[in-house]
Amino acid sequence: MSDETVVSLENVEVHFESAGSILPFGGDSEVVQAVDGVSLDIPENDVVALVGESGCGKTTLGKTAIGTQRPTGGAVKYKGQDVWKANDGEGDVEIPFEEIRQSLQIIHQDPGASLNPNKTVQHSLEAPLKLRHGEMDTFERRERIHEMLSRVGMEPPEDYAKRFPHQLSGGEQQRVALIRALLMNPDLILADEAVSALDVSLRIDMMDLMLDLQDTFDTSFLFISHNLSNASYIAGKADGRIGIMYLGELVEIGPIDEVLNDPQHPYTKALMWATPNLNPKADDGGSSPLRKIDVPDPRNPPTGCKFHTRCPEAREACTGEMPDATDLGNGHEVACYRADDGHDYWSSPELADEGDELTGTADESTAD
Amino acid sequence: MTMQQTHTAAVDDPIFEVRDVSVSFDMDRGESRVLDRVDMDIERGEILGVVGESGSGKSMFASALLDAVVDPGVLTGDITFDPEDGRRIDLLDRDETDIKDIRWRQIAMVFQGAMSSFNPTMTIEAHFRETLSVHDYDVEAGMERARQLLSDLYLEADQVLGSHPHELSGGMSQRALIALALVLEPEVLVMDEPTAALDLLMQRSIIELIREIADERDLTIVFITHDLPLVANLADRLAVLYAFEFVEVGPSDEVLTGAKHPYTRALLNATPNLDTPREEMRPIEGSAPDPVNVPEGCSYHPRCPLADDTCIREDPPLTDDGDDHAAACHYVDRVAEEVPLTLQEVTVDE
Amino acid sequence: MAEQNSSFSQSDGSAGGQGASRADLYREWIDMALLTPIRVAWDDWRTQVGSIIIAFYLLMGTVGVALVEPPTQGQGPRLTPAFQDWSVPLGTNDIGTSILSATVHATPPMLQMIAAGAVFSTAIATVIGTVSGYKGGLTDRVLTTFTDIAMTIPGLPLIILLAALFDPSNPALIGILITINAWAGLARSIRSQVLSLRDHSYVEASRIMGAPTRRILVDDVLPNIMPYVLINFVNSARNVIFGSVALYYLGLLGGTHENWGIMLDGAYNGGAIYSLQVIHWLFVPMIAIIGISFGFVLFAQGTEKLFNPRIRARHAETVEDDTAPYQE
Repeated sequence: MSDETVVSLENVEVHFESAGSILPFGGDSEVVQAVDGVSLDIPENDVVALVGESGCGKTTLGKTAIGTQRPTGGAVKYKGQDVWKANDGEGDVEIPFEEIRQSLQIIHQDPGASLNPNKTVQHSLEAPLKLRHGEMDTFERRERIHEMLSRVGMEPPEDYAKRFPHQLSGGEQQRVALIRALLMNPDLILADEAVSALDVSLRIDMMDLMLDLQDTFDTSFLFISHNLSNASYIAGKADGRIGIMYLGELVEIGPIDEVLNDPQHPYTKALMWATPNLNPKADDGGSSPLRKIDVPDPRNPPTGCKFHTRCPEAREACTGEMPDATDLGNGHEVACYRADDGHDYWSSPELADEGDELTGTADESTAD
Repeated sequence: MTMQQTHTAAVDDPIFEVRDVSVSFDMDRGESRVLDRVDMDIERGEILGVVGESGSGKSMFASALLDAVVDPGVLTGDITFDPEDGRRIDLLDRDETDIKDIRWRQIAMVFQGAMSSFNPTMTIEAHFRETLSVHDYDVEAGMERARQLLSDLYLEADQVLGSHPHELSGGMSQRALIALALVLEPEVLVMDEPTAALDLLMQRSIIELIREIADERDLTIVFITHDLPLVANLADRLAVLYAFEFVEVGPSDEVLTGAKHPYTRALLNATPNLDTPREEMRPIEGSAPDPVNVPEGCSYHPRCPLADDTCIREDPPLTDDGDDHAAACHYVDRVAEEVPLTLQEVTVDE
Repeated sequence: MAEQNSSFSQSDGSAGGQGASRADLYREWIDMALLTPIRVAWDDWRTQVGSIIIAFYLLMGTVGVALVEPPTQGQGPRLTPAFQDWSVPLGTNDIGTSILSATVHATPPMLQMIAAGAVFSTAIATVIGTVSGYKGGLTDRVLTTFTDIAMTIPGLPLIILLAALFDPSNPALIGILITINAWAGLARSIRSQVLSLRDHSYVEASRIMGAPTRRILVDDVLPNIMPYVLINFVNSARNVIFGSVALYYLGLLGGTHENWGIMLDGAYNGGAIYSLQVIHWLFVPMIAIIGISFGFVLFAQGTEKLFNPRIRARHAETVEDDTAPYQE
């Protein structure tokens, strides 16, 4: 793990406005704060896992990190160059946007949808080569493609190269998508739930492959998942970090094993409770530690610390302002008042539960 | 072919007896058998976890239990249903058995993707009322029960009843579907990936709710999933499907800590989880067979480290050694050394 | 041809790379781009019948006009029924013109009209629909407004007006005139399809790779809307056929050349519908019109399969059999 930062997100905000009513009366336009002030550095040749439930903004943050989603606030920088300034041609552009665009790639969740059904594997994989290595001729491209197909275990490569996507299994399709991303020689690949749609027995294989190729191609991975076990495997093997997101905020981040062995944020602890394990003798932690089962409506998030409505440790101090990140050393940060021994939190009264326990809030978002 | 023997992990009081059940489809590429002569007993009041990856036949098993296999699939074999009131019913005998009477009233189902199980033009309340009246139940008493069920599932009954399906979040609609499945007080609940589309916390909460409901109402639950850890703590017994047959059945903790079939062991070693040390996890080589092209003999032999000539020639039957833990393997005694379980080291040290 | 040396390190076990000669590549390309589509299309009886019919008309419009004398007055006795006098095999009309001559010589201008009109309207609709759906924003709004205006102007009155104003005689111009606002509906449909295609994962992947927009449109978007475009091409062709016949029939287009519509008009006015003796005057052009229209429809239905990669894979020689794995 080197110290060079490939992509850094500085206080990034992404707010979506859903179009309000056309008529002058009836609701004002609703703003969803998909990402609300997140700062994150992604180093070279490293793995950062982002975990959270749906609606937490991890996918939006991921797309912002690879320059596909324009932030409404804050900055995204690639090797020091502000990505959107490069796009707009503003100021001193040291790294042109075209180069940035090619260095940031993606692997999608659904392997069946990530390849053009009308193109053979060969044809799909020629595209990145033509873009990145225009000097190669047809033969060189073919050889390169065959080489990569062999490398990921699709033998004989000539055979696989001529297939259409529907003639490949899910695991094979995903491997082709991986090759396609790698042939661009990127510095960062966004793996957006890249193993979630694969069979359980194939996941480790795919993650090992990604790590194996990471070294060869000198790429970083931003691995997004709602599944803590998957994230733990890939981040752990690469000795990387894991970030936990909740309703647009990064609530905890740190080296993977430290966060898993010593979680600081109550939400992280809840996620660990919720992650099923294989050990029948383990104390399964009983019933939900959360005060409410349902996630709040992202259009109307709670004040202060957004988790306070469900947090088992919430107190009145938590309803005021969103806690800043506390540095616990060794790259481990958490956004919770409990990390600060001297904070008012400790003298603040516990929150009384409103009405029925574990009831959903009135205006449920339909997004999941 | 599999020989018939009394086995399938000695069940004392079966509510379901599945014998020699197959589902086949005639495809251009050949005859495709997506469930291959399976035998299974399901104990009354138990939670049976049926685990299989995609392409193992698990959803077909759910459909078979309800005699709901879609055309042009052909379902053969015997399924005997033995409800509380004592009449043993041959589920597949269309002349004798009114399957519509049994479905939902005695055997209910909850499938993946609650949204598509509901009619988008009707409110949830309308769904309940329709279900109750179609089955000739007292609608008002039934609605009372519905309200109780919804609130047991931590839902705001009035709010949910008045909503349309798209107005509810995924978690809420899945819970509403579970309530709908329970409103006629069935004895059996068949659930096929009921939590697949849900988030971690919601998933876990619903599993807890299912456990509570099963206890309170003495339900028999067949929980089908590809996610082994999910069902590991919920189920009393686990049954593992591979290539359209059951390869292992037994009490959950025995299967988890002392699996007898090489596939189960390999699957345990390959499943990402927080407890197993990462370096020790191993992927499974090869891939699951196409239903048109299932290997001769033991269908797992191409991927099995113990495979030899016997395995290629003979398909091992699902047998136990007199205990209630059965596996379909010729070399059960050698499995422990050849396929070491990584997790075992962790639990033994405790 | 000598193989190129790879400038990258070879991984072990890579059996490929060697042995792919220029000839092999060429053969593969021919197979995928030419032979397979032909094989796929020909496999369906509708394509076979449709292409035979269209070929027949093409022949009629090229070779036929050379073989059959142009229509003039008095080629045979007036109102001769069909199949009687073999110098005028399909009979004559009220001024003795051979109906066979008239029918055959009406074909080339008709083909030109169809070609011009269908190509024009389909091309415009596809370009506008695709660009507007893909680009979004201001471009989309401008193009959509333009499309909407074209769509709401009533078609027939516009055509009649323009025909009266410009009195075109060039068949290609007439073809374009007839489809002057028919493209709008197709453009709208294509736009909606492109809107949904735009967010598909593989299209997004191409964008993220930095592929130029025109490449994305050609490679990723267009092949997926082709079945739709094809059907609409055929519908445009039929629009032109029926539209031109109607215009000529109504006398809105002057006749410097033969047209089946003019023949129909003549037959109707000449009382052909009242007498079985003279019915051939009416029937022959009618059959000509229906025939070509039917041919187009069949051909389109058959070739629609071309755009299905599963079927292409099955027919391609250089690709293995359809080995789609089992999906539960």
